[in-house]
Order: sequence, then structure tokens, then C-alpha cells
Amino acid sequence: MIRYTIIRTVWIFVILFTVISLNFTLLRLAPEYPPPAEEEREIYFERQVRDGLRTRTLVRDPDQMQLIRDREADLHKNAYWFDEGELIRLYEPVPIARQYIAWMGNILTEWNWGVSQSVQANVPVFDVLVSRIPVTMMLNLVALVFYIPIGFVLGILAALKKNSMADNAISLGVMIFISIPSFVVMSLLVLTFGYQLGWFPPQYPPGDIGGIIRLQAVFLPVLGLSFGAIAALTRTTRAELTEVLTSEFLLLARTKGLTRPQAVVRHAMRNSMVPLVPGIIFSFVGLLSGSVIIERIYSIPGTGRIFVNAMMQNDYSLVLGITAFYTIVGLFAVLLVDLSYGLVDPRIRMGAKK
Amino acid sequence: MSQKKKPAAEIQEQYETNIDIDKSEFEFVQQDDKIYDKKFETKPIGYFRDAMTRFAKNRTNVYATVILFTLIFLSIVVPMVTTKRYTGQEYEVRFLPPRVPIVERFGFLDGMERVRDQRVDRATIDPETGLGIPPSELFNPDFIQMDTLQNYTTSCQDRQDFCYGGQNILRFDDPEPDDDGMFSALLQSQAFFSVNPAQNPVLRVEIADLSEGSTLNLWMNTHLTPTDYDLVLAITEPGVYDIDFQDAFENLTFFSSLIQLELVSEDPEGSVSLDAIRLFHGDTDDEENIFQEDYGYDLSLYALIEGDANYHRRNGEILWAEFRFDRYQQVYGERLRRAFSANRYYALLEANEDLCVRTEHPDNPDLLYTFSEGCPVTRVLRQTEPVERDGELFYSYDIVVDYAIISGFDDLPYYFFGTDASGRDLFALSWLALRTSLFIGVTIAFINISIGIIYGAIEGYYGGRIDLLMERFAEIIGRIPWLVTLSIFVALLGAGVTTLMAILIFSGWIGISGITRTQFYRYKGREYVLASRTLGAKDSRLIFRHILPNAIGTIITASILSIPLVIFAESTISYLGFGIGHGVSFSVFGVEFSGVSIGVLLADGRTHMFARPYLTVFPAIIISILMITFNMFGNALRDAFNPSLRGVE
Repeated sequence: MIRYTIIRTVWIFVILFTVISLNFTLLRLAPEYPPPAEEEREIYFERQVRDGLRTRTLVRDPDQMQLIRDREADLHKNAYWFDEGELIRLYEPVPIARQYIAWMGNILTEWNWGVSQSVQANVPVFDVLVSRIPVTMMLNLVALVFYIPIGFVLGILAALKKNSMADNAISLGVMIFISIPSFVVMSLLVLTFGYQLGWFPPQYPPGDIGGIIRLQAVFLPVLGLSFGAIAALTRTTRAELTEVLTSEFLLLARTKGLTRPQAVVRHAMRNSMVPLVPGIIFSFVGLLSGSVIIERIYSIPGTGRIFVNAMMQNDYSLVLGITAFYTIVGLFAVLLVDLSYGLVDPRIRMGAKK
Repeated sequence: MSQKKKPAAEIQEQYETNIDIDKSEFEFVQQDDKIYDKKFETKPIGYFRDAMTRFAKNRTNVYATVILFTLIFLSIVVPMVTTKRYTGQEYEVRFLPPRVPIVERFGFLDGMERVRDQRVDRATIDPETGLGIPPSELFNPDFIQMDTLQNYTTSCQDRQDFCYGGQNILRFDDPEPDDDGMFSALLQSQAFFSVNPAQNPVLRVEIADLSEGSTLNLWMNTHLTPTDYDLVLAITEPGVYDIDFQDAFENLTFFSSLIQLELVSEDPEGSVSLDAIRLFHGDTDDEENIFQEDYGYDLSLYALIEGDANYHRRNGEILWAEFRFDRYQQVYGERLRRAFSANRYYALLEANEDLCVRTEHPDNPDLLYTFSEGCPVTRVLRQTEPVERDGELFYSYDIVVDYAIISGFDDLPYYFFGTDASGRDLFALSWLALRTSLFIGVTIAFINISIGIIYGAIEGYYGGRIDLLMERFAEIIGRIPWLVTLSIFVALLGAGVTTLMAILIFSGWIGISGITRTQFYRYKGREYVLASRTLGAKDSRLIFRHILPNAIGTIITASILSIPLVIFAESTISYLGFGIGHGVSFSVFGVEFSGVSIGVLLADGRTHMFARPYLTVFPAIIISILMITFNMFGNALRDAFNPSLRGVE
């Protein structure tokens, strides 16, 4: 088991490292967009020099200065310069390999993820993230707590009453909600309950509004996040439970003299839950990345919305931070699932010893 | 010899006792029979036939498939046959509500728009009903359904003319006391009040509230000399005060003066709240006699000319109207076109030569010609003064056109889904968008299936170390969150259709490669593969001639479901604004597309969700139906072709 755990953990870190490195390298290849305001730009470049991502050169040679002014000098495409009359301060990026080492070093030694470029200029990326994570996490956890019982109950109901009216109705509902994209569901929800009926606020209230509206505002995004998840959970629960219900050990339980409810609760349900747990862990990752679009529709100031903003404004430092956050959450869910599989099912961890 | 099933215990007993049966008691079952081939009593059922039977057995799936193919058919045909415009911009016809024939008779989708939150022009208030409507430039009163008209009010504090009534409050900020320890501030009206003794003038001052220990002094200049203001009234209690000028002044002559209001108080917290100042000519009980009045907005315009105080407005009201409005009639009715160039005018007449019979109106100075029914131009109001340039005369006409006819419609058109912000027909646009989505879905799915099959085939066929390495690689690719993929491709390639396709292909093939891999593991050990290999067949021949054809059915039917997944992802990315750009046309493998997909339409509709929900509802319904039916179709197909379910009733 220890060996299995170590192998899985190391493997997850390999993937994490690969994804983040790949993302950094490729985003650095794109044109860079420093902060739009002049004074912020100076601070930004100084920070880049401090973080080891750029070099600062003072150019005093008049010929060289003229070349730079005429944009004829052989400069890096992401180079910037400030003209101060008698000298030019030239900020040039170091080669990407060295940038990468410096960047990794900053993260590992100081937990320094760099600064945002345009969304919140010169604010450390980690601070921006930390201010946005609570809302997103809160919504997703509420959605998780909300959808699991419903999905279970519907799935169990469908499996126990297989091929009945209820089962058919549930299966149809599952098919519908698993098919419709979440942004469509959310749009229709906001349209109906937010605007037409006015039961819930049509947008997430901004920071200074509190109280009952804030509580009400949780409802629609949670619903929007949950529909697909409920459908998926219902479907897997139904499939697993149906399979277990036809298995031989359940027949044995019945022949031993257990009543049907006893057999179902004590034997069938427990066994069918085992494969569902990993599904639920994965579903959290699904919810999290699905909330990007929900946050945009409902104007929720969470990580998803700031990701879209950062993409729109080419704030790649922030994009790097946010994607790293999503990658870490996603991969740790994978790790959790792998390990839980190993714990639950000995055949899997034996297989790893090959 | 057939033997009936015996209870287990009995058989056991027989074995134990070891009965001895004589050889002669055995006989051959078919020794004397001749065995012929028997004819099957039922018809043989082939693989496809069996699949089709099972597919057709589930009615719901058949309906879903029919709907799906209808959608696909419509998405191809509708943009081709429609007479409505779905490209470009036409500002005049933007935001027309949905209108559907037959259904409209039931008061539903009838092209009527529920208009809300329109400021009422108070001049239009009908004395009988007490209801007002917005200015007629915005909403032609002829097309307002008057029985649905409702007025309602909301409060406001703006110093704006649409904010009606309320009080205006004068309050000290941080005043300096004068020599007597009193605080004061002075307001002055914007308009002059003209007092003519012949008309029995009465000035009424309405004070809503006045703090204790404060006095409000009203000053007017009664002499027609520039600077000298007289104290007309000093008020210490709230209430309504009338000043009958003829009683108050001897030798009253005509004068015209600004009104000055002075708040004097011993308390720096003192304030006054003003309701109205009105000048009556004659009897003050009759509102008809109001000659001049300042209240609400007018009163709020009084300027603070002395003292440290602020003057603001409270409890104002805005009057709003809500009604059903026939926008089609307004849009496609008659429209005035000023400075319509003579060339276009003559071209228009020439094109409709047989319809336009001109009548001249020599006596009417405001009307030059009228035209007969059915002509795009209904009236010509005047001809502008000609301008000479380069020896040529240029002039233009002010004409009234019939917008329906000039747009090429005989009657009011039916926009089934309404029109969008650019005046494009949403119905045609939705099908066009669906076609784009479908095409992208199918193309990308095809590419993904091809890559997946090749990748999975190599993995499954060679197995071992190659399989392990390739599996690890696929796992890394599959584990990259889509946000990372999105950010990388958008940063490097910019938002657009190339990026969209790159994102969708990047990790889309992994599922299919997995299916292919299992299928290859299943078939590669079969005898016919071994036989072919012993005959010296190369790997490629084994893969493509022997294994793949056997596996391809399962792979393809399982991959059909990747089409709706791609459409799902495409619309999501486009909705976020990183996919298909709005209105930017593009071509995929030589097929031209205008840059709309369902995701784009929904993203557009988002901004108008409150006032114009149909912009969201119709595309949402279309993509929902597409996704549902496509998934049902895919599932049914997969189940039908599933070999393990073959022959299962």
C-alpha cells in the first residue's frame, strides 16, 4: 500500500509539474501586455527585474539611443524602454529557460507567483486569488452538499422501481439535464427566477450588500451548478445499484431470510456506494471548472470570473496563477480517488506492484 | 436417451450404489435417422438488421432521431430559403418581438412587445383615465394597446425634469453665525414672477416642514428697481400661506421679480422643506387659475446665493408607463426620410413604375406629390434647394416611405423568433448558428476519431512498453484542465475558430483512443490474426485489414457521442468569447460560415435578458433539443450495435 501511495503521489506531482511548466513556457511565448498606466508600468518592470524575469540596462550611448527610439535596434519583442532624455532604461526579458528557473525558484522559496498585469495591476497574483477563492469554494461546496442527496435519492428510486413510470420519468429528466449545457440552464434560470418572477436577485449582489439578499443569491448559481451533477449522479447510482441488485450475493442475502428492504440497505447500497465515491470527488472538479461560466452569467466575483477577465485583458501572470489553482485542485482530486480506490479495493493496489 | 432431471440426492444415491446397466440397454439416438439440413423456419437476421430492430424497438429513441434529423435538415434548408435578412445591420428593425402566424391569434407570439419603464410625457396624460404615454417620437400612440396601459411611479431624488413633485430641502452645512448669533442662507428662483394687479394676483407658498426656531422670509422686488427687495412674508410654522398682493400692498403696480427665500435660524441644524410656490390669477381654489408655479423640479433649480448650506430634493416621483406595443406597425409603417437623394428617389420610382401613380398637389405648400397604394414612396413633402457643384445640380427630397414595401414585404413580415440587436432575423440566424455548430461538431469529432483510432490502434496492437508510455502521455494530456488549454491557445493564437478547433482537438481524441485500445486488445489474439501473421502479413496490414474492420463498428458507434460533446464544448467556449468571433465569417476546409454559433447568440442575448428574453429563450431551446436528441440517438445507436446485447429481447 505504501509503495502504491508513493507511486501515485509522485506521478501526480510529475503531471502537476509538467502542466504548470508547459503553461508557463507557452504563455511566455505570447506577446506580453504590461499594465496600461505609465507609473504602474515602471513598478511592474522593476518587480520583474527583482523577480529575475527581466534585465534592466541603462543605455547612454547616443547612437544606440537613437536606434532604440527609431525602433530599429535589435530588441526582444517583449522589450520595453523608458526614454528619459539623456538615458534610456531598457527592460529586456531574460531567455525563457532562465525565466522559468527564476519563476519556479520564486514560487518554491518565497511562494511568490508574480504580480497581476492589468486586472489589478501590481497586486501579487496570490493575493488576488486568495480574495476570490472563498466565494467560488463556498458556492461549489454548497452545490456539492445540495446535489449529492438529491442525486442519490433519485438514483436509488429509479433503480428500485426499475422500468416503472417513476424510473422512466427520472431517466428522461437525467437525459435532459445531462444534455443541456450548464450556461443554457443558468441563462434560463436567471431569466425565469431572476427577471420574470423576481424571486431571486438576477445578479450576484456586489460586496457592500449583505444580509438576506446575499443568502438568496446563492440559490440560483447552486441550482445552475447542480443540475448536470444531479443528472450524472442519478445515472451512475441507478446503474451501479441495478447491477448490484441482480448480483448473486443479494440473492444469497434474500435466501438467508432478509427482507427486501434489509437486503437492499445492508448489502446492495453499501456495495454500490463504493464506485460512487470517486465519482463524487471528480464531480467537485467538474463543478469547479463549470462554475467559470456560471460566475460569468451571474456576475459572481470568483476565480472563474477573474480568469475570464484576465484572459480578456491578456493578464497572463494572473492566468498562470488561476490555472495553477485549478490544476492543483483537479490533480489532488485524482490523487484522492486513486488512493481511495487502493484503500477500498485491494486488487488495485496489488496490481500496482507488478 | 433423455433423462428427466432427478433431485440431487437421488443422483448421488445412484452413483454411490453404482448401478450396473447392461450394454444392450444403450442405443444410438440417431442411428437409423438420416440427418438433413433443416430449413430455418424464421428468416435469418443479420448484424445490421438486428441492430435496426433493437434500435426501432424503443419508441422514444426513434422520435428523438426523427427530431434530430429534422433539426439538421432545417439547419441546412432554412438559411437557404429564407426571405429575411440574417447578415449585416439594419438598425430600424432591431429588437422586433417574435411573431408567428396562427399562434398570434391566441395572443401569444403575436409581435406585441411588453414595454416597461418608459418615462411618461406628462403632457399626454388623459384627463379621463389619468394615464399618460411616452413621447410619440419613441412610441407612436396609434400602436399602443391602450387597454394594457398602466402607469406606476418610483421615487427619485435627481435634479431632473422627469423627476416629479416631492420636497426640496434647504439645510445648513457648517454656517457661521452673524452678529446676533443667527444663521442664514438665501435661495433665489430661476424664473421671474410677473405680478399684474389687474388680475387679482395671489402668491401661495406651501411649506412642508420648518424646524423650530427658524423663520423663512420671502423677498420680492416690488418696485421694478433693480436691487431693492422687500420682505413679503415671514413664515415660522409649516403650512400653506397665501399673499393677496392687492391686500398686502397699497398702490400696487405691475412688477416682475425673482423670488428670494431666506432661511434664518438660531439653530445651526435648522432646515426648511418646500413643497411649492404658485402664482394664481384670481381664485385660488381653481387650479385653472395657476399662472405660474414652481414645484418639484422647477423648485429644485433655485440657486443658493448666500450662506453655507445645501439644497436638495426628496420624495420625487417618476411616472412610468407599461403597455403592449405593436412594434411591427411602427417599424413597417410610414417613415419620413429627409434629404433622400434625387438619384435614389428616381431609381426607386423607376423600379416600381407600374405601381406608382403620382398625384400633384399644387395648392398645398406642405405636400408636393402623393403616390398610389402599393408604391414604396407614399408622399413627397418637398424638394430641397439644389446645390451646384462642378456644373451639376444636386438636390434631394424629403419623402415619406412605406417601410414594409421598401424592405420588400407586401405585408407585415413574420419574424418567428424576432430580430436581434442588429435587426437580423433570429429564426434564420438560429438555424445558421446550428449549422455552424453541427459542422464544427462533426468535423472535430471526425478528426478526433481519426487521431484516436490511430493512437489507440498503435497502443493496443503493440502493447507492452509502447502501450505504457503512450498511456502515460495520454494521461498527462487528459489531465490538463481545459482552462489551461484554453489559456495557452488563446494566448498564442488569439480568440477565433482556429483556437477553438485546436482546443477541441487537443484532448478530444483521448476517449476514443481508449475505446480503440480495448478493442485491439480484444481482437489481436484471435486466430485469424495469428493466421495472417504466420502468412507473413506486416503490422500495418494486420491493423488495418484484420483488426480494425472488426472493431470499427463498436468504435464508431461509441464515438457518435463525442459529437454532442464537441458541440457542447464549442458553444461553451464561444459563449465565453474565446471561440467564434461575433459576425466574423470564416471558412473551415473550404466551407464558408458566418461567425455565429448558438454560443455566440446566447452570449449576445445575455445583455438583453431582462427586456428581451426571446433572444435567449429560442437559441437555448434549439441547442437543448439538439443536445438531448443527439445524446438519445447516440445512446440508442451504441446500444443497438453493442454485440453483447445481440438477440436480447
